[in-house]
Amino acid sequence: MSDQVRSDTRLSSVSRDVRDQIADLQADYIAALDSQDMKGWLASFDENNSSYFCRSKENEDEGLEVGYMFDDCHERICDRVKFVDEIWAGTFEEYQTRHFLQPTRCKSLGEDLYSAQTNFTVMYTDDAGITKVLASGCYDDEIVVNGVARLRSRKAVLDTNVVPRYMVYPI
Amino acid sequence: MDAKTDPSAISHLPDLAWPPAGVSDSVPFGVFTDQATYDLEQERVFRPTWNYLALEAEIPNAGDYKSTFLGDTPVVVTRDTEGEIHAWVNRCAHRGAMVCRENQGNNADGTYTCVYHQWAFDAKGDLIGVPFRRGLGGKGGYPKDFDMKEHGLQKVRVENYHGLIFGTFNEDLVDVEGFLGGEGDVSYHMKRILNRPLKVLGHTRQFVDSNWKIYAENTKDPYHASLLHLFHMTFGLYRSSQVGGVSLGDEWHSVLFASAGEEDESTKKENKENASRTYQEGYTLADMSLLAGRKEYDDGVTLVILSIMPSLVVQQIQNTLAVRQILPKGVDQFELVWTYFGYDDDDAEMDAIREKQVNLIGPAGLISMEDGEACELVQNAIIRDRDARSCIQMSGHDFKDEPHLVTEGPVRSFWNRYRLLMDF
Repeated sequence: MSDQVRSDTRLSSVSRDVRDQIADLQADYIAALDSQDMKGWLASFDENNSSYFCRSKENEDEGLEVGYMFDDCHERICDRVKFVDEIWAGTFEEYQTRHFLQPTRCKSLGEDLYSAQTNFTVMYTDDAGITKVLASGCYDDEIVVNGVARLRSRKAVLDTNVVPRYMVYPI
Repeated sequence: MDAKTDPSAISHLPDLAWPPAGVSDSVPFGVFTDQATYDLEQERVFRPTWNYLALEAEIPNAGDYKSTFLGDTPVVVTRDTEGEIHAWVNRCAHRGAMVCRENQGNNADGTYTCVYHQWAFDAKGDLIGVPFRRGLGGKGGYPKDFDMKEHGLQKVRVENYHGLIFGTFNEDLVDVEGFLGGEGDVSYHMKRILNRPLKVLGHTRQFVDSNWKIYAENTKDPYHASLLHLFHMTFGLYRSSQVGGVSLGDEWHSVLFASAGEEDESTKKENKENASRTYQEGYTLADMSLLAGRKEYDDGVTLVILSIMPSLVVQQIQNTLAVRQILPKGVDQFELVWTYFGYDDDDAEMDAIREKQVNLIGPAGLISMEDGEACELVQNAIIRDRDARSCIQMSGHDFKDEPHLVTEGPVRSFWNRYRLLMDF
Protein backbone atom coordinates (compact mmCIF):
# COMPACT_ATOMS: atom_id res chain seq x y z
CA MET A 1 0.00 0.00 0.00
CA SER A 2 1.44 3.35 -1.00
CA ASP A 3 1.95 6.09 1.59
CA GLN A 4 -0.63 8.21 -0.22
CA VAL A 5 -3.34 5.54 -0.09
CA ARG A 6 -2.58 4.75 3.51
CA SER A 7 -2.84 8.34 4.68
CA ASP A 8 -6.13 8.78 2.80
CA THR A 9 -7.75 5.85 4.51
CA ARG A 10 -6.21 6.15 7.98
CA LEU A 11 -8.63 6.56 10.80
CA SER A 12 -7.15 10.02 11.40
CA SER A 13 -8.19 11.06 7.88
CA VAL A 14 -11.66 11.78 9.26
CA SER A 15 -12.57 14.09 12.11
CA ARG A 16 -12.53 12.97 15.72
CA ASP A 17 -16.25 13.71 15.91
CA VAL A 18 -17.01 11.38 12.98
CA ARG A 19 -14.75 8.71 14.44
CA ASP A 20 -16.56 8.95 17.76
CA GLN A 21 -19.96 8.57 16.11
CA ILE A 22 -18.77 5.55 14.13
CA ALA A 23 -17.22 4.05 17.26
CA ASP A 24 -20.55 4.44 19.06
CA LEU A 25 -22.34 2.74 16.17
CA GLN A 26 -19.93 -0.21 16.22
CA ALA A 27 -20.21 -0.55 19.98
CA ASP A 28 -24.01 -0.40 19.89
CA TYR A 29 -24.07 -2.98 17.10
CA ILE A 30 -21.99 -5.59 18.92
CA ALA A 31 -23.63 -4.85 22.29
CA ALA A 32 -27.00 -5.58 20.67
CA LEU A 33 -25.88 -8.84 19.02
CA ASP A 34 -24.07 -10.04 22.14
CA SER A 35 -27.27 -9.61 24.13
CA GLN A 36 -29.39 -11.28 21.40
CA ASP A 37 -31.20 -7.97 20.93
CA MET A 38 -32.22 -8.21 17.28
CA LYS A 39 -34.19 -4.98 17.38
CA GLY A 40 -31.08 -3.23 18.67
CA TRP A 41 -29.19 -4.78 15.76
CA LEU A 42 -31.82 -3.43 13.37
CA ALA A 43 -31.47 0.05 14.90
CA SER A 44 -27.88 0.19 13.65
CA PHE A 45 -29.08 0.36 10.05
CA ASP A 46 -30.27 3.41 8.13
CA GLU A 47 -34.01 2.91 7.94
CA ASN A 48 -34.30 4.75 4.63
CA ASN A 49 -31.90 2.58 2.71
CA SER A 50 -29.63 -0.17 3.94
CA SER A 51 -28.31 -3.64 3.26
CA TYR A 52 -26.58 -6.44 5.14
CA PHE A 53 -24.54 -9.26 3.67
CA CYS A 54 -22.62 -12.02 5.40
CA ARG A 55 -20.45 -14.11 3.13
CA SER A 56 -17.14 -15.96 3.01
CA LYS A 57 -13.96 -14.37 1.73
CA GLU A 58 -13.82 -17.28 -0.73
CA ASN A 59 -16.98 -16.02 -2.46
CA GLU A 60 -16.02 -12.36 -2.06
CA ASP A 61 -12.65 -12.95 -3.76
CA GLU A 62 -14.39 -14.66 -6.68
CA GLY A 63 -16.87 -11.81 -7.04
CA LEU A 64 -19.74 -14.10 -5.98
CA GLU A 65 -22.43 -12.40 -3.94
CA VAL A 66 -24.21 -15.24 -2.20
CA GLY A 67 -23.32 -16.41 1.25
CA TYR A 68 -24.81 -17.01 4.64
CA MET A 69 -27.12 -13.99 4.72
CA PHE A 70 -28.23 -11.77 1.85
CA ASP A 71 -30.40 -8.85 2.93
CA ASP A 72 -30.25 -6.41 0.08
CA CYS A 73 -32.91 -4.00 1.38
CA HIS A 74 -33.97 -2.60 4.72
CA GLU A 75 -37.20 -4.57 4.62
CA ARG A 76 -35.34 -7.87 4.66
CA ILE A 77 -33.17 -6.70 7.53
CA CYS A 78 -36.47 -6.13 9.37
CA ASP A 79 -37.59 -9.61 8.31
CA ARG A 80 -34.41 -11.18 9.71
CA VAL A 81 -35.37 -9.79 13.13
CA LYS A 82 -38.74 -11.51 12.77
CA PHE A 83 -37.15 -14.81 11.71
CA VAL A 84 -34.92 -14.94 14.78
CA ASP A 85 -37.29 -13.45 17.36
CA GLU A 86 -40.56 -15.00 16.25
CA ILE A 87 -40.40 -17.73 13.64
CA TRP A 88 -37.36 -19.60 14.93
CA ALA A 89 -38.13 -18.87 18.59
CA GLY A 90 -37.83 -22.03 20.65
CA THR A 91 -36.37 -24.17 17.87
CA PHE A 92 -32.68 -23.39 18.10
CA GLU A 93 -30.24 -23.73 20.95
CA GLU A 94 -29.31 -20.19 21.87
CA TYR A 95 -25.67 -19.36 22.02
CA GLN A 96 -23.81 -16.47 23.56
CA THR A 97 -21.57 -14.48 21.23
CA ARG A 98 -18.84 -11.96 21.98
CA HIS A 99 -17.73 -9.71 19.16
CA PHE A 100 -14.30 -8.06 19.29
CA LEU A 101 -13.68 -5.27 16.80
CA GLN A 102 -10.66 -3.36 15.59
CA PRO A 103 -11.15 -0.48 13.16
CA THR A 104 -8.46 -0.38 10.50
CA ARG A 105 -9.54 2.01 7.72
CA CYS A 106 -11.94 4.91 7.26
CA LYS A 107 -12.44 7.52 4.60
CA SER A 108 -14.96 10.09 3.46
CA LEU A 109 -17.04 9.24 0.39
CA GLY A 110 -18.43 12.78 0.22
CA GLU A 111 -21.26 14.55 2.02
CA ASP A 112 -22.19 12.52 5.10
CA LEU A 113 -21.15 9.10 3.78
CA TYR A 114 -18.03 7.23 4.95
CA SER A 115 -16.49 3.90 4.16
CA ALA A 116 -14.93 1.92 6.96
CA GLN A 117 -13.16 -1.40 7.42
CA THR A 118 -13.20 -3.08 10.80
CA ASN A 119 -11.71 -6.45 11.73
CA PHE A 120 -13.79 -8.74 13.87
CA THR A 121 -13.43 -11.90 15.88
CA VAL A 122 -16.57 -13.55 17.19
CA MET A 123 -16.44 -16.14 19.97
CA TYR A 124 -19.44 -18.25 20.86
CA THR A 125 -20.31 -20.15 24.01
CA ASP A 126 -22.75 -23.04 23.85
CA ASP A 127 -25.13 -24.36 26.49
CA ALA A 128 -22.41 -26.59 27.93
CA GLY A 129 -20.28 -23.51 28.56
CA ILE A 130 -17.66 -24.36 25.95
CA THR A 131 -16.26 -21.32 24.12
CA LYS A 132 -14.97 -21.54 20.56
CA VAL A 133 -14.28 -19.22 17.64
CA LEU A 134 -17.34 -18.63 15.48
CA ALA A 135 -15.72 -16.46 12.85
CA SER A 136 -12.92 -14.09 12.07
CA GLY A 137 -13.08 -11.55 9.30
CA CYS A 138 -13.64 -7.95 8.30
CA TYR A 139 -16.61 -5.62 8.06
CA ASP A 140 -16.68 -3.56 4.89
CA ASP A 141 -19.13 -0.75 5.66
CA GLU A 142 -20.71 2.35 4.26
CA ILE A 143 -21.86 4.54 7.11
CA VAL A 144 -24.06 7.62 7.14
CA VAL A 145 -22.88 10.11 9.78
CA ASN A 146 -25.12 13.07 10.52
CA GLY A 147 -25.30 13.61 14.24
CA VAL A 148 -25.70 9.89 14.66
CA ALA A 149 -24.04 7.13 12.65
CA ARG A 150 -26.09 4.44 10.86
CA LEU A 151 -25.09 1.61 8.54
CA ARG A 152 -25.98 2.20 4.90
CA SER A 153 -24.46 -1.15 4.04
CA ARG A 154 -22.54 -3.75 5.96
CA LYS A 155 -20.70 -6.61 4.37
CA ALA A 156 -19.37 -9.10 6.93
CA VAL A 157 -16.67 -10.99 5.04
CA LEU A 158 -15.57 -14.16 6.85
CA ASP A 159 -12.01 -15.46 6.62
CA THR A 160 -13.46 -18.46 8.43
CA ASN A 161 -14.37 -20.60 5.46
CA VAL A 162 -16.01 -23.46 7.30
CA VAL A 163 -18.28 -22.20 10.06
CA PRO A 164 -19.07 -24.34 13.08
CA ARG A 165 -22.55 -25.86 13.38
CA TYR A 166 -25.13 -23.34 12.19
CA MET A 167 -25.71 -19.61 12.26
CA VAL A 168 -28.80 -17.99 13.73
CA TYR A 169 -27.61 -14.49 14.55
CA PRO A 170 -25.99 -12.12 12.11
CA ILE A 171 -22.29 -11.37 12.59
CA MET B 1 -42.65 -62.64 18.99
CA ASP B 2 -41.25 -59.92 16.83
CA ALA B 3 -37.64 -59.02 16.24
CA LYS B 4 -37.70 -56.33 18.89
CA THR B 5 -38.55 -58.69 21.75
CA ASP B 6 -36.91 -61.95 20.71
CA PRO B 7 -33.21 -61.71 21.64
CA SER B 8 -32.31 -64.66 19.44
CA ALA B 9 -33.57 -62.76 16.41
CA ILE B 10 -30.99 -60.02 16.95
CA SER B 11 -27.98 -60.61 14.80
CA HIS B 12 -24.68 -59.21 15.99
CA LEU B 13 -22.76 -58.18 12.89
CA PRO B 14 -19.98 -57.67 13.70
CA ASP B 15 -20.90 -56.77 17.24
CA LEU B 16 -23.77 -54.31 17.05
CA ALA B 17 -27.34 -55.26 17.88
CA TRP B 18 -28.91 -54.91 14.45
CA PRO B 19 -32.42 -56.08 13.73
CA PRO B 20 -32.51 -59.21 11.53
CA ALA B 21 -31.20 -58.94 7.98
CA GLY B 22 -33.71 -57.30 5.70
CA VAL B 23 -35.35 -55.39 8.56
CA SER B 24 -34.12 -51.82 8.81
CA ASP B 25 -36.78 -50.12 10.88
CA SER B 26 -34.26 -49.39 13.63
CA VAL B 27 -30.49 -49.08 13.90
CA PRO B 28 -28.13 -49.49 16.85
CA PHE B 29 -26.69 -46.14 17.89
CA GLY B 30 -23.17 -47.57 17.90
CA VAL B 31 -23.17 -47.27 14.12
CA PHE B 32 -22.86 -43.51 14.69
CA THR B 33 -20.14 -43.69 17.33
CA ASP B 34 -17.75 -46.57 16.50
CA GLN B 35 -14.38 -45.72 15.03
CA ALA B 36 -14.05 -49.22 13.53
CA THR B 37 -17.34 -48.75 11.68
CA TYR B 38 -16.19 -45.35 10.41
CA ASP B 39 -12.94 -46.81 9.09
CA LEU B 40 -14.74 -49.71 7.42
CA GLU B 41 -17.16 -47.27 5.74
CA GLN B 42 -14.28 -45.62 3.91
CA GLU B 43 -13.38 -49.00 2.39
CA ARG B 44 -16.87 -50.37 1.77
CA VAL B 45 -19.18 -47.39 1.35
CA PHE B 46 -17.17 -44.45 0.01
CA ARG B 47 -14.26 -45.75 -2.07
CA PRO B 48 -16.18 -48.37 -4.10
CA THR B 49 -19.14 -46.12 -4.99
CA TRP B 50 -19.64 -42.99 -7.09
CA ASN B 51 -18.90 -39.91 -4.99
CA TYR B 52 -19.70 -36.37 -6.04
CA LEU B 53 -16.48 -34.37 -6.48
CA ALA B 54 -17.24 -31.15 -8.38
CA LEU B 55 -19.46 -29.30 -10.75
CA GLU B 56 -18.06 -29.22 -14.25
CA ALA B 57 -18.78 -25.48 -14.08
CA GLU B 58 -16.22 -25.16 -11.26
CA ILE B 59 -13.42 -26.19 -13.63
CA PRO B 60 -14.60 -24.77 -16.97
CA ASN B 61 -11.22 -24.02 -18.55
CA ALA B 62 -8.19 -26.08 -19.57
CA GLY B 63 -5.78 -26.14 -16.62
CA ASP B 64 -8.48 -25.58 -13.98
CA TYR B 65 -8.42 -27.70 -10.85
CA LYS B 66 -10.32 -28.13 -7.60
CA SER B 67 -9.23 -29.85 -4.39
CA THR B 68 -11.83 -31.87 -2.57
CA PHE B 69 -12.31 -35.22 -0.86
CA LEU B 70 -13.66 -38.64 -1.76
CA GLY B 71 -14.89 -39.81 1.63
CA ASP B 72 -12.09 -38.47 3.78
CA THR B 73 -9.38 -39.05 1.16
CA PRO B 74 -8.02 -35.81 -0.36
CA VAL B 75 -8.39 -35.76 -4.15
CA VAL B 76 -7.87 -33.19 -6.89
CA VAL B 77 -10.12 -32.87 -9.93
CA THR B 78 -8.32 -31.41 -12.96
CA ARG B 79 -9.02 -30.41 -16.52
CA ASP B 80 -6.02 -31.05 -18.73
CA THR B 81 -4.79 -28.89 -21.58
CA GLU B 82 -6.97 -30.91 -24.00
CA GLY B 83 -10.06 -30.31 -21.86
CA GLU B 84 -10.32 -33.84 -20.43
CA ILE B 85 -11.31 -34.22 -16.78
CA HIS B 86 -9.22 -36.34 -14.40
CA ALA B 87 -8.91 -36.92 -10.67
CA TRP B 88 -6.15 -38.26 -8.46
CA VAL B 89 -5.37 -38.70 -4.80
CA ASN B 90 -3.70 -35.54 -3.52
CA ARG B 91 -0.67 -37.36 -2.11
CA CYS B 92 2.75 -37.33 -3.69
CA ALA B 93 3.93 -40.74 -4.92
CA HIS B 94 7.35 -39.93 -3.46
CA ARG B 95 6.98 -39.33 0.28
CA GLY B 96 3.28 -38.73 0.66
CA ALA B 97 3.09 -34.94 0.86
CA MET B 98 0.04 -33.03 -0.35
CA VAL B 99 0.75 -32.03 -3.96
CA CYS B 100 -1.96 -29.40 -4.50
CA ARG B 101 -2.42 -26.99 -1.61
CA GLU B 102 -5.01 -24.59 -3.06
CA ASN B 103 -8.79 -25.09 -2.99
CA GLN B 104 -9.02 -24.27 -6.66
CA GLY B 105 -7.13 -22.50 -9.39
CA ASN B 106 -5.61 -22.82 -12.83
CA ASN B 107 -2.31 -24.41 -13.83
CA ALA B 108 -1.97 -23.16 -17.38
CA ASP B 109 1.02 -25.43 -18.08
CA GLY B 110 -0.85 -28.42 -16.64
CA THR B 111 1.92 -29.26 -14.17
CA TYR B 112 1.41 -30.06 -10.49
CA THR B 113 4.64 -29.95 -8.53
CA CYS B 114 5.01 -31.22 -5.00
CA VAL B 115 6.77 -28.54 -2.97
CA TYR B 116 8.71 -31.04 -0.81
CA HIS B 117 11.15 -32.51 -3.39
CA GLN B 118 9.60 -31.08 -6.55
CA TRP B 119 8.33 -34.26 -8.12
CA ALA B 120 6.17 -32.97 -10.96
CA PHE B 121 2.97 -34.53 -12.30
CA ASP B 122 0.68 -33.72 -15.20
CA ALA B 123 -3.08 -33.19 -14.95
CA LYS B 124 -3.63 -36.94 -15.47
CA GLY B 125 -1.49 -37.64 -12.41
CA ASP B 126 1.43 -39.13 -14.35
CA LEU B 127 4.95 -38.39 -13.10
CA ILE B 128 6.73 -36.14 -15.60
CA GLY B 129 9.76 -34.84 -13.75
CA VAL B 130 12.06 -35.73 -10.85
CA PRO B 131 14.93 -33.45 -9.73
CA PHE B 132 18.38 -35.03 -9.41
CA ARG B 133 17.16 -38.12 -11.22
CA ARG B 134 20.72 -38.89 -12.34
CA GLY B 135 22.29 -37.28 -9.28
CA LEU B 136 24.85 -34.50 -9.26
CA GLY B 137 28.35 -34.96 -10.63
CA GLY B 138 27.87 -38.72 -10.81
CA LYS B 139 26.77 -38.94 -7.18
CA GLY B 140 23.32 -39.89 -5.94
CA GLY B 141 20.38 -40.10 -8.30
CA TYR B 142 17.72 -42.77 -8.67
CA PRO B 143 18.64 -46.34 -9.52
CA LYS B 144 18.82 -47.38 -13.19
CA ASP B 145 15.63 -49.40 -12.85
CA PHE B 146 13.63 -46.40 -11.60
CA ASP B 147 10.60 -46.21 -13.92
CA MET B 148 8.70 -42.91 -14.00
CA LYS B 149 5.59 -44.78 -15.18
CA GLU B 150 5.43 -46.67 -11.90
CA HIS B 151 5.39 -43.57 -9.74
CA GLY B 152 2.35 -41.65 -10.82
CA LEU B 153 -0.32 -40.37 -8.44
CA GLN B 154 -3.09 -42.76 -7.45
CA LYS B 155 -5.78 -42.20 -10.05
CA VAL B 156 -9.49 -41.89 -9.40
CA ARG B 157 -11.97 -42.99 -12.05
CA VAL B 158 -14.21 -40.07 -13.02
CA GLU B 159 -17.42 -39.57 -14.94
CA ASN B 160 -19.10 -36.34 -15.93
CA TYR B 161 -22.83 -36.89 -15.38
CA HIS B 162 -24.71 -33.97 -16.90
CA GLY B 163 -22.29 -31.46 -15.39
CA LEU B 164 -21.71 -33.24 -12.08
CA ILE B 165 -18.32 -34.91 -11.78
CA PHE B 166 -18.29 -38.15 -9.82
CA GLY B 167 -15.28 -40.20 -8.77
CA THR B 168 -14.69 -43.74 -7.54
CA PHE B 169 -11.82 -46.07 -6.70
CA ASN B 170 -13.85 -48.92 -8.19
CA GLU B 171 -12.91 -49.77 -11.80
CA ASP B 172 -15.67 -52.39 -12.01
CA LEU B 173 -18.57 -50.19 -10.91
CA VAL B 174 -21.40 -49.53 -13.38
CA ASP B 175 -21.63 -46.03 -14.83
CA VAL B 176 -23.29 -43.24 -12.86
CA GLU B 177 -26.65 -43.71 -14.55
CA GLY B 178 -26.58 -47.38 -13.57
CA PHE B 179 -25.48 -46.44 -10.05
CA LEU B 180 -28.51 -44.17 -9.78
CA GLY B 181 -30.71 -47.14 -10.55
CA GLY B 182 -30.92 -46.76 -14.30
CA GLU B 183 -33.90 -45.11 -15.88
CA GLY B 184 -36.25 -44.20 -13.06
CA ASP B 185 -37.33 -41.38 -10.81
CA VAL B 186 -33.88 -40.66 -9.40
CA SER B 187 -32.15 -40.24 -12.73
CA TYR B 188 -35.25 -38.46 -14.07
CA HIS B 189 -35.07 -35.84 -11.32
CA MET B 190 -31.29 -35.52 -11.66
CA LYS B 191 -31.66 -34.78 -15.37
CA ARG B 192 -34.62 -32.50 -14.69
CA ILE B 193 -32.41 -30.22 -12.57
CA LEU B 194 -29.26 -30.75 -14.63
CA ASN B 195 -31.08 -30.03 -17.87
CA ARG B 196 -28.63 -27.48 -19.27
CA PRO B 197 -25.19 -25.94 -18.53
CA LEU B 198 -24.80 -24.66 -14.98
CA LYS B 199 -23.37 -21.48 -13.50
CA VAL B 200 -21.76 -21.42 -10.03
CA LEU B 201 -23.24 -18.77 -7.70
CA GLY B 202 -21.11 -19.46 -4.62
CA HIS B 203 -20.33 -21.78 -1.72
CA THR B 204 -20.94 -22.07 1.97
CA ARG B 205 -19.33 -24.62 4.25
CA GLN B 206 -20.13 -25.79 7.75
CA PHE B 207 -18.79 -28.33 10.20
CA VAL B 208 -21.49 -30.31 11.93
CA ASP B 209 -20.44 -32.26 15.01
CA SER B 210 -22.29 -35.45 14.19
CA ASN B 211 -21.76 -38.63 12.26
CA TRP B 212 -22.37 -38.17 8.53
CA LYS B 213 -25.14 -40.79 8.50
CA ILE B 214 -27.31 -38.74 10.83
CA TYR B 215 -27.37 -36.14 8.08
CA ALA B 216 -27.96 -38.82 5.45
CA GLU B 217 -31.05 -39.89 7.42
CA ASN B 218 -32.16 -36.25 7.65
CA THR B 219 -32.11 -35.83 3.88
CA LYS B 220 -34.22 -38.96 3.42
CA ASP B 221 -36.90 -38.06 5.94
CA PRO B 222 -39.59 -35.84 4.45
CA TYR B 223 -41.78 -35.70 7.52
CA HIS B 224 -39.38 -33.77 9.79
CA ALA B 225 -39.50 -30.81 7.42
CA SER B 226 -42.87 -29.45 8.42
CA LEU B 227 -42.25 -30.12 12.13
CA LEU B 228 -38.69 -28.89 12.59
CA HIS B 229 -38.59 -26.10 10.03
CA LEU B 230 -41.21 -23.64 11.22
CA PHE B 231 -40.43 -21.22 8.43
CA HIS B 232 -41.82 -23.80 6.02
CA MET B 233 -45.05 -24.05 7.97
CA THR B 234 -45.37 -20.36 8.62
CA PHE B 235 -45.23 -19.45 4.96
CA GLY B 236 -46.81 -22.59 3.56
CA LEU B 237 -43.74 -23.54 1.55
CA TYR B 238 -43.90 -27.13 2.64
CA ARG B 239 -46.50 -29.08 4.54
CA SER B 240 -46.64 -32.79 5.18
CA SER B 241 -50.15 -32.70 3.74
CA GLN B 242 -48.86 -31.33 0.44
CA VAL B 243 -49.05 -33.17 -2.85
CA GLY B 244 -45.78 -35.04 -3.09
CA GLY B 245 -44.04 -38.29 -2.51
CA VAL B 246 -40.88 -40.32 -2.24
CA SER B 247 -39.18 -42.53 -4.79
CA LEU B 248 -36.30 -44.88 -4.27
CA GLY B 249 -33.80 -45.41 -7.04
CA ASP B 250 -31.90 -48.57 -6.38
CA GLU B 251 -33.08 -48.56 -2.74
CA TRP B 252 -30.08 -46.52 -1.66
CA HIS B 253 -30.69 -43.17 -3.25
CA SER B 254 -33.97 -41.38 -2.87
CA VAL B 255 -35.93 -38.45 -4.17
CA LEU B 256 -38.42 -36.46 -2.13
CA PHE B 257 -40.63 -34.11 -4.09
CA ALA B 258 -43.54 -31.79 -3.40
CA SER B 259 -45.74 -29.62 -5.56
CA ALA B 260 -47.15 -26.18 -4.94
CA GLY B 261 -50.69 -27.54 -5.35
CA GLU B 262 -53.24 -27.05 -2.58
CA GLU B 263 -54.39 -29.98 -0.47
CA ASP B 264 -58.00 -30.15 0.69
CA GLU B 265 -59.08 -28.25 3.81
CA SER B 266 -59.57 -31.27 6.08
CA THR B 267 -56.08 -32.63 5.37
CA LYS B 268 -54.68 -29.19 6.00
CA LYS B 269 -56.50 -29.00 9.31
CA GLU B 270 -55.38 -32.47 10.35
CA ASN B 271 -51.79 -31.55 9.53
CA LYS B 272 -51.99 -28.48 11.70
CA GLU B 273 -53.47 -30.36 14.64
CA ASN B 274 -50.60 -32.84 14.56
CA ALA B 275 -47.88 -30.22 14.95
CA SER B 276 -47.58 -29.44 18.66
CA ARG B 277 -45.43 -26.38 18.32
CA THR B 278 -47.51 -23.39 17.47
CA TYR B 279 -47.04 -21.40 14.37
CA GLN B 280 -48.73 -18.22 13.43
CA GLU B 281 -51.19 -17.77 10.63
CA GLY B 282 -51.48 -14.84 8.34
CA TYR B 283 -47.81 -14.06 8.69
CA THR B 284 -46.35 -11.56 6.30
CA LEU B 285 -42.88 -10.37 5.54
CA ALA B 286 -41.87 -6.77 4.97
CA ASP B 287 -40.27 -8.01 1.77
CA MET B 288 -42.40 -10.78 0.32
CA SER B 289 -40.21 -10.81 -2.80
CA LEU B 290 -38.06 -13.36 -0.94
CA LEU B 291 -40.76 -15.91 -1.65
CA ALA B 292 -42.00 -14.60 -4.98
CA GLY B 293 -39.62 -16.43 -7.27
CA ARG B 294 -40.37 -17.57 -10.78
CA LYS B 295 -41.86 -20.78 -12.13
CA GLU B 296 -39.03 -22.67 -13.79
CA TYR B 297 -40.37 -26.12 -14.49
CA ASP B 298 -43.64 -27.04 -16.16
CA ASP B 299 -44.42 -29.81 -13.67
CA GLY B 300 -45.21 -27.42 -10.80
CA VAL B 301 -42.80 -29.25 -8.48
CA THR B 302 -41.32 -26.73 -6.05
CA LEU B 303 -39.22 -28.97 -3.87
CA VAL B 304 -36.91 -31.82 -4.83
CA ILE B 305 -34.38 -33.37 -2.48
CA LEU B 306 -32.28 -35.99 -4.23
CA SER B 307 -30.22 -37.91 -1.73
CA ILE B 308 -27.51 -39.68 -3.70
CA MET B 309 -25.53 -41.86 -1.36
CA PRO B 310 -22.99 -41.72 0.04
CA SER B 311 -21.91 -38.15 -0.48
CA LEU B 312 -24.38 -35.97 -2.32
CA VAL B 313 -27.66 -34.12 -2.03
CA VAL B 314 -29.01 -32.29 -5.07
CA GLN B 315 -31.82 -29.92 -4.34
CA GLN B 316 -34.38 -27.56 -5.77
CA ILE B 317 -36.24 -25.56 -3.15
CA GLN B 318 -38.31 -22.87 -4.86
CA ASN B 319 -35.70 -21.28 -7.16
CA THR B 320 -32.66 -22.34 -5.16
CA LEU B 321 -30.57 -24.99 -6.82
CA ALA B 322 -27.68 -26.50 -4.92
CA VAL B 323 -25.52 -29.52 -4.39
CA ARG B 324 -24.57 -30.43 -0.85
CA GLN B 325 -21.42 -32.51 -0.53
CA ILE B 326 -21.17 -34.62 2.61
CA LEU B 327 -17.55 -35.02 3.71
CA PRO B 328 -16.99 -37.30 6.72
CA LYS B 329 -14.25 -35.91 8.97
CA GLY B 330 -14.26 -38.49 11.73
CA VAL B 331 -16.78 -40.56 13.57
CA ASP B 332 -18.48 -37.49 15.05
CA GLN B 333 -17.93 -34.74 12.51
CA PHE B 334 -18.70 -34.02 8.89
CA GLU B 335 -18.25 -31.02 6.68
CA LEU B 336 -21.19 -29.98 4.57
CA VAL B 337 -20.21 -28.05 1.45
CA TRP B 338 -23.06 -26.18 -0.26
CA THR B 339 -22.50 -25.16 -3.86
CA TYR B 340 -25.26 -22.90 -5.16
CA PHE B 341 -25.85 -22.77 -8.87
CA GLY B 342 -28.12 -21.47 -11.57
CA TYR B 343 -28.14 -21.98 -15.31
CA ASP B 344 -25.67 -20.47 -17.70
CA ASP B 345 -28.50 -18.80 -19.60
CA ASP B 346 -30.21 -17.27 -16.53
CA ASP B 347 -31.05 -13.61 -17.00
CA ALA B 348 -30.10 -10.94 -14.46
CA GLU B 349 -33.51 -11.10 -12.78
CA MET B 350 -33.19 -14.86 -12.31
CA ASP B 351 -29.70 -14.41 -10.84
CA ALA B 352 -31.18 -11.93 -8.37
CA ILE B 353 -34.02 -14.28 -7.43
CA ARG B 354 -31.62 -17.12 -6.77
CA GLU B 355 -29.20 -14.97 -4.77
CA LYS B 356 -32.02 -13.70 -2.61
CA GLN B 357 -33.50 -17.16 -2.05
CA VAL B 358 -30.16 -18.55 -0.91
CA ASN B 359 -31.33 -17.08 2.41
CA LEU B 360 -33.56 -20.15 2.63
CA ILE B 361 -30.73 -22.67 2.67
CA GLY B 362 -27.18 -23.18 3.92
CA PRO B 363 -25.72 -22.94 7.45
CA ALA B 364 -27.90 -19.90 8.26
CA GLY B 365 -30.77 -20.96 6.01
CA LEU B 366 -34.32 -20.19 7.03
CA ILE B 367 -35.29 -23.81 6.35
CA SER B 368 -31.99 -25.61 6.88
CA MET B 369 -30.31 -24.03 9.89
CA GLU B 370 -32.15 -26.44 12.19
CA ASP B 371 -30.81 -29.55 10.44
CA GLY B 372 -27.26 -28.88 11.65
CA GLU B 373 -28.59 -28.53 15.15
CA ALA B 374 -30.81 -31.62 14.95
CA CYS B 375 -27.85 -33.77 13.87
CA GLU B 376 -25.84 -32.60 16.88
CA LEU B 377 -28.74 -33.21 19.24
CA VAL B 378 -28.70 -36.85 18.16
CA GLN B 379 -24.93 -37.28 18.32
CA ASN B 380 -24.73 -35.73 21.79
CA ALA B 381 -27.41 -38.00 23.20
CA ILE B 382 -26.50 -41.43 21.82
CA ILE B 383 -23.11 -41.78 23.48
CA ARG B 384 -22.47 -44.98 25.45
CA ASP B 385 -25.64 -46.94 24.68
CA ARG B 386 -24.34 -48.36 21.45
CA ASP B 387 -26.79 -51.25 21.30
CA ALA B 388 -29.83 -49.12 22.02
CA ARG B 389 -31.77 -48.65 18.81
CA SER B 390 -33.68 -45.90 17.09
CA CYS B 391 -37.25 -46.29 15.81
CA ILE B 392 -37.73 -45.74 12.09
CA GLN B 393 -41.31 -46.88 11.57
CA MET B 394 -43.24 -43.98 10.11
CA SER B 395 -45.32 -45.53 7.31
CA GLY B 396 -44.39 -49.09 8.17
CA HIS B 397 -41.39 -51.41 8.29
CA ASP B 398 -40.56 -51.76 4.64
CA PHE B 399 -39.65 -49.33 1.91
CA LYS B 400 -41.20 -48.52 -1.42
CA ASP B 401 -42.18 -45.58 -3.56
CA GLU B 402 -44.95 -43.69 -1.77
CA PRO B 403 -47.30 -40.93 -2.99
CA HIS B 404 -47.10 -38.93 0.26
CA LEU B 405 -44.60 -37.30 2.59
CA VAL B 406 -45.45 -38.88 5.94
CA THR B 407 -42.85 -41.64 5.76
CA GLU B 408 -39.42 -42.78 6.84
CA GLY B 409 -39.29 -45.37 4.05
CA PRO B 410 -36.26 -43.82 2.32
CA VAL B 411 -34.37 -43.92 5.64
CA ARG B 412 -35.11 -47.63 5.94
CA SER B 413 -34.00 -48.23 2.37
CA PHE B 414 -30.75 -46.38 3.08
CA TRP B 415 -29.99 -48.62 6.05
CA ASN B 416 -30.91 -51.74 4.13
CA ARG B 417 -28.37 -50.95 1.42
CA TYR B 418 -25.81 -49.71 3.92
CA ARG B 419 -25.93 -53.03 5.73
CA LEU B 420 -25.45 -54.92 2.49
CA LEU B 421 -22.44 -52.82 1.58
CA MET B 422 -20.96 -53.06 5.06
CA ASP B 423 -21.82 -56.75 5.45
CA PHE B 424 -23.58 -55.89 8.73
